[in-house]
Amino acid sequence: MSAAARPARTLAAQERRFALGLLAPALVVLALTTTAPLVYLAWNSLQRLDLAMPWLSGFAGAGNYAKMGSDPRFWNSLLLTGIYTASTVVLQVVIGLSLALLVLQIPRGQGVLRIAAILPIVLAPVVVGMFWRTLVLAPDFGLVDLVTRTLGLGSHNWLGDPQLALISVIAIHTWQWTPFAFLVLLASLATLPPDVYEAARLDRASAWQRFVHITLPLIRPAVVMVVILRMMTALSAFAAIFAATGGGPGSATEILNLYAYRTSFAELNLGYGAALAMVLLAITLAISFVMFRMRRARA
Amino acid sequence: MSPRSAFRRIALAAVAGVGVAVWVFPVIWGLITSFKTERDVLAYPPVWLFKPTLDNYREVIFGASSILPNLWSSFVVATSATILTMLIAIPAAYALGRLRYPAKRASGFYVLVTQMLPPIGLIIPYYLVLQKLGALDTYSGLSIIYLTFALPFAIWLMVSYFEDVPFEMEEAALLDRAGRLRALWYVILPQVRGGIAVTTIFVFLNAWNEFMFAVVLGGNRVRTVTVAMFNFISVEQTQWAKLAAGAMLAMLPVILIGFFAQRHIVKGLTVGAVKGGGRR
Repeated sequence: MSAAARPARTLAAQERRFALGLLAPALVVLALTTTAPLVYLAWNSLQRLDLAMPWLSGFAGAGNYAKMGSDPRFWNSLLLTGIYTASTVVLQVVIGLSLALLVLQIPRGQGVLRIAAILPIVLAPVVVGMFWRTLVLAPDFGLVDLVTRTLGLGSHNWLGDPQLALISVIAIHTWQWTPFAFLVLLASLATLPPDVYEAARLDRASAWQRFVHITLPLIRPAVVMVVILRMMTALSAFAAIFAATGGGPGSATEILNLYAYRTSFAELNLGYGAALAMVLLAITLAISFVMFRMRRARA
Repeated sequence: MSPRSAFRRIALAAVAGVGVAVWVFPVIWGLITSFKTERDVLAYPPVWLFKPTLDNYREVIFGASSILPNLWSSFVVATSATILTMLIAIPAAYALGRLRYPAKRASGFYVLVTQMLPPIGLIIPYYLVLQKLGALDTYSGLSIIYLTFALPFAIWLMVSYFEDVPFEMEEAALLDRAGRLRALWYVILPQVRGGIAVTTIFVFLNAWNEFMFAVVLGGNRVRTVTVAMFNFISVEQTQWAKLAAGAMLAMLPVILIGFFAQRHIVKGLTVGAVKGGGRR
């Protein structure tokens, strides 16, 4: 007995050492490249650090955070972040799920759709923003204007008008990332057992009843997962908006992420930019915490 | 087949067709534009039949604003970031996926959290540090910051592949007194070759497409192709045909990768949340 237990214990110890040896480089690199910078970010958010006015630099305590309270641009960016994140995520899930449900009914040609869906996903967001700014949304010559002019709806300045610009950047994000929701939900729908549907059909459940009472509960984990990942992407959306509008006109499309960027690298006020980034970090982590709790509770 | 179900099928196919068209058409339109002269681009109504020209491609490859140096920059940064990532991620993923050790849950969770950090929170401290070190606009500076998004992603994706390998394989190798490192190298790694390939492709793709880090930490020497495309639009707003040709060249590698790796894309895109939120 003890003869068998001793090798087992040494084997376990050996496994432990081996595991830590394999894991150590990754943990050290992650600590140095992500955690240490965040500590430095937090420290800088307490500084007055303005590269345009370096002589004013110094410890500011909670000054940068206090400044946000009376900064209308900050509140505007927070509101825009909420609108942008909520609307893009809802649109992606609703369109992606509807399309996935439709496509499941088509016996052939799903492969073509899958390839088409991958195209927007692999493109660099900055190229997507650039494409939309010129070929798709430009007044007079863009694709959208060609359609609205043909339909007699006239030409619009899609990225120059504040309200239209917000709608436009939401449309761009939705265009690029709905394929993601579509592909994941399609994969999840394809794994559902067909026999429950047979039973429901025999019970004369309508298509809508089958969807609400059978399909939706079964794919809920996949939907929650899509929502989590899409929220993360939307909260730190940058390149497509930056290329399409640069946050403008004025600050009409300046979500918090862009505001933090512009403050830091256009206005060179890195202290205040760091504080804004800290707020975005807190929001992101809080949302993912809540979402994961939801996922675990219901899964 | 009843007429009603035939009609239903046609309607379904039509809706799906519109979906595809919306996703594909802007890119096709860009491709068409890249073969037009600047005058044809601005024709109204748009010309469908035009004399295709290769001038735009000639210009963006051999002209004054050639993007070849930028393609090279992107290639160097993305390749070195990918190699570094894979070398660190594969052993870590093996430990996370298959070995027993204390604080396993916590270490897995830590990797997951690092994947969620908004890049803006990292770029400010990186800018300040690299500026102090005089390492702005260097390949090493940019490649290292790419680890922040590539490494957590690669670790989690590789874990899912390691978990698919039957545990008996290692046990058999260990009973043969093969030693753990030899078992990993000769028995397990060959089993996850496909996973390594897919992960490598994804890491490369994400690094190739990255923009914010590249625009802030790059410069005249290290200017990736995404930054070059952005500069293009701010400098030469109206030259759409040239811009489209540049974009096509810049995106050709990722489009080809996406096309060949399409079956694995869903798995790669969903990995973190599938694992992290569930069992672990």
